Amino acid sequence: MLKLENIRYSKNSTEIIKGINMEFEKGRVYCIVGNNGVGKSTIGYIIMGLSDYKPQEGKILLDGEDITQLGPTQRAKKGITLLWQEPARFEGITVENYLKLNKNISKDEIEEALKLVNLEPAKYMKRYVDKKLSGGERKKVELASCILLKPDYLIMDEPDSGIDIMSLDMIVNVINYMKERGSAVIVITHRKEIALNCGYSYLICAGKVFLEGKSEKIVEYYEKTCDSCGHINYLEED
Amino acid sequence: MDIVKGYEKEFEQLVEIYEKNTKDNSLRNPAVATIIVSGNKVVGLNSVKGMHITSKERSDGLVMIDVEIEDNTIIPVPVHLCTGFLKKKGEQILRFNYIIGDNVKVKFKSHCILTKVEKLHHYMESDMYIGKNSFVVYEDEHFHDEGGGVFVETITRMKIDENSFFASKFYETKTRVGRINVVMDIELLKNAKANLESKIYGREDDIIDIKEILRLKGENSSGIAKSTVFATDRTKAHVVNEAYGEAAYARGHIECNEIVRGNEVEVSTLPLLKVKHDKAELTHEASVGRIKQDQLETLMAKGLTEDEAAEFIINGLLS
Repeated sequence: MLKLENIRYSKNSTEIIKGINMEFEKGRVYCIVGNNGVGKSTIGYIIMGLSDYKPQEGKILLDGEDITQLGPTQRAKKGITLLWQEPARFEGITVENYLKLNKNISKDEIEEALKLVNLEPAKYMKRYVDKKLSGGERKKVELASCILLKPDYLIMDEPDSGIDIMSLDMIVNVINYMKERGSAVIVITHRKEIALNCGYSYLICAGKVFLEGKSEKIVEYYEKTCDSCGHINYLEED
Repeated sequence: MDIVKGYEKEFEQLVEIYEKNTKDNSLRNPAVATIIVSGNKVVGLNSVKGMHITSKERSDGLVMIDVEIEDNTIIPVPVHLCTGFLKKKGEQILRFNYIIGDNVKVKFKSHCILTKVEKLHHYMESDMYIGKNSFVVYEDEHFHDEGGGVFVETITRMKIDENSFFASKFYETKTRVGRINVVMDIELLKNAKANLESKIYGREDDIIDIKEILRLKGENSSGIAKSTVFATDRTKAHVVNEAYGEAAYARGHIECNEIVRGNEVEVSTLPLLKVKHDKAELTHEASVGRIKQDQLETLMAKGLTEDEAAEFIINGLLS
């Protein structure tokens, strides 16, 4: 189990995450939902341990082990990975080599992962992961990479951004595939279709968990209240 | 293949080093045009139909090689130019003159094998004229000694005539640079196109100077000059890219990316764009700095260490 205990994170003297508690179990799908700017992606980066996202307070526990001080490499080796909202580009690296990533991954496995994200292997294996791939194609390659890593905990930051609406079903299928293989999938989104596919949701407002529970209930509340709320500092003003 | 009598051993040595570094055995293939120079001596020559190669060695050490390709010649396999130096110290001065006819299609593969030297000045000056409607590719790969005692200077002047295409790749990524000074000055006539790419990996106290110039003189001519330098340790690198738009609809793009690792490197880039026609268009892009954090962290989030991630990124950039 992955646990966030009373995480607080500030940047440039502004407190962005204000003491959140969350729990994630393998084989389940979670949603972190909320308006733009409330700190959803920041939570994802804190879980991944990115260099600019070290919490000032609180603990991250993985199966009871405190991993708060570990960097992204060590966390990835312990089974945590991140699907980036806007994945980086890599000049001169083919899709095949990017997905292989110096690891012992077979060509068949790579082809299978590409098919799962609706990319035709014959067309994409030798293409470069550079500016010539569209945003949607790049995102799908990143999704295939996450599938191949077989993580215990997969954080998906806005998996649908940059992807055409026709591919929403594919994203939902990948989320379910990862769940079936035993991963905990933590989806950061504000898209209803994706959030409703998750079992449990955390509604974030102004850096705090405002509500949590079954996704249907949280999404209903979010649609009725947060969509029209229009400001992110609700809790602070309260 | 004409191997000069008395130089069979040098020929063999150079070919062996080349084959070991590249896994390519083209230099022994009689169907492949080759020019093999060892020190100040042409040790092997092989020509093919439509191509004429002559060489002259002067008493002062200068080696002059003329390459002429007849109009309407298509050379199906790359022409190999292999220059090597097997002594420990010295100077190698080469002068190439290429005249490439109209409607020619040819690819040159040049290899500079300087792996056994302690201190060497390798100077190569080339002039190339490419006729009309031709397609020419020139790839230049260097293998230097790891001690850093090699100083390479290559100066190339070119004129590309109407409707022709030229692409060049200059790579020095696999071995130590030592000191390198690359100058490429290209004049493009009507509808001519050029694509220049150089990639150099600096280590220890290597010194890298690159200057690429595109002179877009013909209407609708276009060119791209792109340099990538990866500078580590105490490397000093200076890149100058220039483009001159002198005709209607001439388009030029110059780009320099210098990636640094370590606090003792010294790199700089200087772009110059000059337009002399209001319908010409020139652009440039330059970056100097460390490997992008988002690239590193993307790979680290997949389990690579920072060093492994950097190596993976650099291998891609320099591939």
